[in-house]
Amino acid sequence: MRAELKVRHRFNFRILVFYAATLLFFSILLAHMVDMQLFKHDQYLLQSDRNRINVVPVLPERGVITDVEGRGLALNRVAYQVLMIPERVEHVQQTLQQLAAMLEWSDQKIDALVRRIGRSRPDRPVLLADKLQWPQVSPLAARLHHFPGIDVQASTYRYYPYGRLTSHLIGYISLATPKDLEQGYLANEFVGRAGVERAFEARLHGTPGSQQEEVDVHGRRVAVLKRTPPQMGENIRLSLDIDLQQAASEALGERTGAVVVMDVHTGKLLVLLSKPGYDTNRFITGLEYARWSAWLEDPRKPLVNRTIQAAYPPASTFKLLTSLAALRNHIPLATGKAYCPGYLSLADRKLRCWRRQGHGHVSMHDAIVQSCDVYFYELGDQLGMPGLGDEAQRWGFGQKTGIVLSPEVRGNIPGITTPPRKRWRRGITMISSIGQGAVTATPLQVARFAAAIANGGTLFEPEVDADAASRIVRRIEVDDMQLKRIRQAMHDVTATPKGTAYYRMRGLPWSVAGKTGTAQVVAMAQGDNRARVPEYDLHKDHAWFMGYAPFENPQIAFAVFVEHGGHGGSAAGPVAAAVIRALAEKQAAKQAERAP
Amino acid sequence: MMNVLRGMDKILLLALAGLAALGMATLYAAVYQGEISLWYKQGVIWGGGLLLMLGICFVPLRFFGLISWPMYLLALLLLLAIPLLGEVHMGARRWLNLGLFYMQPSELMKWALTFLLAHWFASREANNWFNLGVATALTVLPAALIVIQPDLGTTLVLMFSATAMLIAAGLRWRVFAAAVALAVAMVPVLWHYMHDYQKQRVLTFLDPQSDPLGAGYHVIQSTIAIGSGGLFGKGYLQGTQARLHFLPEQHTDFIFSVLAEEGGLLAVTLLFALYSVLIFRMIAIASTASSRFGSMLCIGIASIFILYITVNVGMVSGLLPVVGVPLPFISYGGSALITMLAALGLVLRVGIESSGRIPWQRPGSPLA
Repeated sequence: MRAELKVRHRFNFRILVFYAATLLFFSILLAHMVDMQLFKHDQYLLQSDRNRINVVPVLPERGVITDVEGRGLALNRVAYQVLMIPERVEHVQQTLQQLAAMLEWSDQKIDALVRRIGRSRPDRPVLLADKLQWPQVSPLAARLHHFPGIDVQASTYRYYPYGRLTSHLIGYISLATPKDLEQGYLANEFVGRAGVERAFEARLHGTPGSQQEEVDVHGRRVAVLKRTPPQMGENIRLSLDIDLQQAASEALGERTGAVVVMDVHTGKLLVLLSKPGYDTNRFITGLEYARWSAWLEDPRKPLVNRTIQAAYPPASTFKLLTSLAALRNHIPLATGKAYCPGYLSLADRKLRCWRRQGHGHVSMHDAIVQSCDVYFYELGDQLGMPGLGDEAQRWGFGQKTGIVLSPEVRGNIPGITTPPRKRWRRGITMISSIGQGAVTATPLQVARFAAAIANGGTLFEPEVDADAASRIVRRIEVDDMQLKRIRQAMHDVTATPKGTAYYRMRGLPWSVAGKTGTAQVVAMAQGDNRARVPEYDLHKDHAWFMGYAPFENPQIAFAVFVEHGGHGGSAAGPVAAAVIRALAEKQAAKQAERAP
Repeated sequence: MMNVLRGMDKILLLALAGLAALGMATLYAAVYQGEISLWYKQGVIWGGGLLLMLGICFVPLRFFGLISWPMYLLALLLLLAIPLLGEVHMGARRWLNLGLFYMQPSELMKWALTFLLAHWFASREANNWFNLGVATALTVLPAALIVIQPDLGTTLVLMFSATAMLIAAGLRWRVFAAAVALAVAMVPVLWHYMHDYQKQRVLTFLDPQSDPLGAGYHVIQSTIAIGSGGLFGKGYLQGTQARLHFLPEQHTDFIFSVLAEEGGLLAVTLLFALYSVLIFRMIAIASTASSRFGSMLCIGIASIFILYITVNVGMVSGLLPVVGVPLPFISYGGSALITMLAALGLVLRVGIESSGRIPWQRPGSPLA
């Protein structure tokens, strides 16, 4: 009986132990829960948010580029994409057939899409069609609810309305490369690659925004929680006048060359044309390799921006510089006369004037108007190479103009861009005096030179942004009387019958001061097997015409260069005339508008 | 009939009703986005299980004592048959194909051993070496067969409930302490014989971040769910971890994290309170049982419940390694719920028989 009681007692005690043990187990669990849900709650909440919230960048819209009057040169066009999330489509093949009927796809396209879908992740959107316009997608968009897993999305792409007319100036954009990604670009962003698109990349690009999306465990978007809108890129208004650019382009026609027109008071560029151009839209829609290599192999080199990226002998346009140098250095011949028999003998060589029969006795004024070579051979000979090189440097030759576009070349001035010599061979100095031989300059440098003559010696950094302040490289110290002599001579080039550009400049509403140039091309070896291109005769000279207008009250300076165009006055003159006429008529029309 | 119904423990039934409501509500949150049919299925199973529980309340306890030996031997036989006829699922050979359905003999053994130990100690004390030795042999034999399947979870349940019953039966603390020391010493040996996936589970448990996308993924996601629930939870059906499918197995073994995420600490406390009431009542019924067999049975069953709850909550909250154990009355799963309701029926029957309402059990009754 006692033993039984003992067992009973022990059992009752053990029951208490069980109660206590149960309590202990639940206390431990509860304490752990308190620790997790109260003390470490914030940390876990952060993790749960990180799990479900995906921050997706929202790309900014790129700034628009317009000409000075606001006409679009680089725009963003809305286009539509058709996307498919394969796992949400029940019958892929059948759906594709239905879409093909609406979007006019070929059977090959369907096959290609089937293959692409087969290769893609079933839970990620596959691009079926891109760059569609609204009329094309609207039938599908209206019936989208019949097509689960198919989506139509709007996107923008870059569009260059003027294509090849503005190709070198505006440039183009392309998808970010791995190098760009290191710079902080996002994978599907576009980056300016050439021209203004490249030079103003930072301003045009804008700032990406972001979107907080709630995603499920498979990364699919369930909801948009928060959106920080992107900041659109800055719109840029260029100083370019597309009417003038168009006039210049039409006047050049199929010929190869460059036209630069600069505001003489601000250094802003109104025309910056290089021909042939290339259609920059091709870069956006996806450039085929064949097209790209055709551009590369074209002997006219359409990808080269001839206004800044290539330097040519400035030829007789450089005689203005030789004149300025001689006047400044008080060379006796500058105020005297030389006799031109049609050639100049130098040791056993004969340096020819372009006019075989010669110009007779010529002053500097006559020599500029008629472009006598012999006068300038002698003038340069008396001046010497260092004096000529120094003057060239003062007026901005042999150095980059500092324009924002790239790549820019600086041209060549012997002794400045090449090592100076103690003694220059006289022949080199003479040839350089008429802008031939080793002397080269870009059309932009020549146009800026003309502008500086017109505005009294202010050398501008050429500017394409209409709303930027003008930047002056330097004010060239030049005697006013000396400058007047040069200007008068330039005027008479176009205004007197003896002038080399007289016949081409007649009948213009404005009087023009100018100078022709005809750069001799080193005779080509016979049997040159480079592809023959119409309007591009490799044996013809390069033609130049530079100057400013109106003569009395200068507004614009210009340089026209026609590669293998022939004689300066006849080949390049009419192009300048066309631009000047277009501008003058435009201003007249505006005035007429304002008058009544 | 009325006597049986009146004799049922009301508090225990109330706790069960609470658990049923909480369980069904949580299960809905876990499956409402997907396989909502599971929720209806679980409702039907609840109905069937409750009927079974009620039925068991009418079966005299003696019956279970009588069948304990045959049941144990049958379970042992089936366990022995497994290495020969068993089918492999997920790397473990646990299942027997009985033609109509698959069964896990280890599940049967769990209850058979509980019955048998209760029966064995109904008239014996665990304070002599013979009684203790037989009980230990009866436990270790099936435990060894189950651990090689391998099924660590069920082995643990077996050992744990056997230990609880031995303590109830008067096991000396000295012996208990020695056995625990021996078990700890056995850990390295056990490690050696563990399968790779089991070792992986233990290692992942020790450092879940070591394999965040693999084995550790489940635990990381469920702890994030629990912790991010906070005091009040994210709101019913508002749990982001659950709604966005970051939680694995969210309607079965990991359902606790759905409850903790959406209901917060408040819901967790409510769940623990309901469980505590349930277990306390079981122990209370054990303490007032009119037979030692009934007491032993209640202790065994209560210990199984405690272990299930602790192991499940511990594993989803990163406190214990991942062992596939359901959360009683909350997890989706037909056989587990039916078994647990049946076990609860047994406990209720013990209470009924000690309530003095049944004529043949009254003191002085010829049937006593």
